[in-house]
Amino acid sequence: MKGSVIKYDKDDIDTDVILPGPYLKIHDYGELAKHAMEGLDKDFHKRVKPGDFIVAGRNFGCGSSREHAPIALSYSGIKAVLALSFARIFYRNAVDGAFLLPIEIEENAYKDISDSDFLEIDISKNEIKNLTKNKTYKMKPFPELVGKIISAGGLFNYKP
Amino acid sequence: MTKTLFEKIWNSHLIDEQDGRSLLYIDRHLVHEVTSPQAFDGLRMNKRKVRRPDLTFATMDHNVPTNNRSLPIVDQTSAMQIQALERNCKEFGIQLFDINSPNQGIVHVIGPELGITLPGTTIVCGDSHTSTQGAFGAFAFGIGTSDVEHVLATQCIWMEKPNTFEIKIEGKRKNPHAVTAKDIILSIIREIGTGGGVGCVFEYKGEVVSEFSMEQRMTICNMSIEGGARAGLVAPDEKTFQYLKGRRYIPKNYDEYVEYWKENLKTDSGAKFDKSFTICTDKIVPQVSWGTNPAMTVDVTGSVPFAEEYAKGNPEEEKAANRALQYMGLKPGTPITDITVDRVFIGSCTNSRLEDLIEASTIVKGKKVSPKVRAMIVPGSQNVKKQAEEIGLDKIFKDAGFEWRESGCSMCLGMNPDILATGERCASTSNRNFEGRQGTGGRTHLVSPVMAAAASIYGHFVDVREMDLN
Repeated sequence: MKGSVIKYDKDDIDTDVILPGPYLKIHDYGELAKHAMEGLDKDFHKRVKPGDFIVAGRNFGCGSSREHAPIALSYSGIKAVLALSFARIFYRNAVDGAFLLPIEIEENAYKDISDSDFLEIDISKNEIKNLTKNKTYKMKPFPELVGKIISAGGLFNYKP
Repeated sequence: MTKTLFEKIWNSHLIDEQDGRSLLYIDRHLVHEVTSPQAFDGLRMNKRKVRRPDLTFATMDHNVPTNNRSLPIVDQTSAMQIQALERNCKEFGIQLFDINSPNQGIVHVIGPELGITLPGTTIVCGDSHTSTQGAFGAFAFGIGTSDVEHVLATQCIWMEKPNTFEIKIEGKRKNPHAVTAKDIILSIIREIGTGGGVGCVFEYKGEVVSEFSMEQRMTICNMSIEGGARAGLVAPDEKTFQYLKGRRYIPKNYDEYVEYWKENLKTDSGAKFDKSFTICTDKIVPQVSWGTNPAMTVDVTGSVPFAEEYAKGNPEEEKAANRALQYMGLKPGTPITDITVDRVFIGSCTNSRLEDLIEASTIVKGKKVSPKVRAMIVPGSQNVKKQAEEIGLDKIFKDAGFEWRESGCSMCLGMNPDILATGERCASTSNRNFEGRQGTGGRTHLVSPVMAAAASIYGHFVDVREMDLN
């Protein structure tokens, strides 16, 4: 999995800025995608390309339980969010619907990765390669069941 | 072996354990119009039924207008979501408290009010503030739409067992009418941070928690999620049992349940928590948030902080504080009591119950809302509204110049007609001061109901300890 980085040097990116409340009435996922990150970055929609990754700080996705948040990111092309930590409901929603990969990274990777860097993520090795900076970082492995749900393509495809 | 209250509830609902995760049985599922439509679509697509419609309850609260209910809903997308919930409940045989029901209201207000929320149970809802209902000694937590579908279909949920986090609230408040449960939970979040409880379930303990009314316990449990915890708990006691007695959906042999709860629903002495935090309430004063997350809060006697002072040497915190100051349009060093407000909102699942309205009315009675302020009261449920009207609170508020509304989430989350205009500043009894939460560009200051009421009269924040609250 390869893609470019859109970096937000910020903790506590909440679901109200990832997908503001007024858009919770929209059922068309493509339409939702147009408003992804609108509360924080009005230009996100113009900038994001299929396959991109978001890199952010602690407690990404805090706040509301709206699954619209990972859906909007996913349908705008985001394949993974790399953050120092995640709020638990966002993390679950991302995994359950197989919308995107919530990847926990370490402080050194967070500091090192810059906006627009090109990364290659290898989940089987728990490894992130920064192809721009020619560096390799570790990612925190997914818990066993999370890994299985991800491989199955979401909660409803997963058979215990 | 000694166990915490949370571990006891967890163990009694455990169905299976695999791959480090547990399958947990769910006793009550509450459903609202915003996070459920795709879940019902999923059921239909896969030809599945709702496994326990008798344990599932629905209402509409997020989208509903809070003005005249006899008029049609202007916003078509809201109207469609509301109609979809009506259709889905009918098709799947779920009890719905619809927009005209005397039991309609914010889902976390009506759960307890109708006796759907019971001690020792597991409760889920597609809403993060489900944590409110932990006040009854239930493990109550918010879920997303995929999990809503999963619970509708199976009545259970996969989870990783959360850690336990004890929060002891000690001391003696000099003026409990002025220094409220809201001020205490804001103080706790200020100390532990917005991510302090990630992966944990809080159990609130200590003498202050015992003294708290059920409404006050709901306020602190409600904002557990703002401290990062999925849920908050208070062990049930005589107040809990009395509150629920006689309510509509409690079990028939209620007294037998009470005996069981008394025996089983408490943390054993000596039981170990994964984390612990103690707050002393002696010196807590009324709180006002100044920034864009609930941890960005100061004493009403303080000033808007300088970014570097708030950040305590952490460059990322400093950046966040600068951004928050800019968004909020505040100058560091400004005394909190110099901040003027345009709007006052008393409502939301944090502070819209009868006791909240009674407390706010003691401030407002016989006074007038500042001509520069637009103020509204949005009762948490139609039952709260009715009870308030029976004791004349509507008259007190309306005479003062408040708008007296129908129940719903209203201005807490900016997805119905009640929103702030860009740049408008609001004293709000809700739970989140995130950017854009109450409307694009809106500026939220989180406060208690008495603090919001006082701000409506003076047009700026005041220290309610200086007012006559009897």
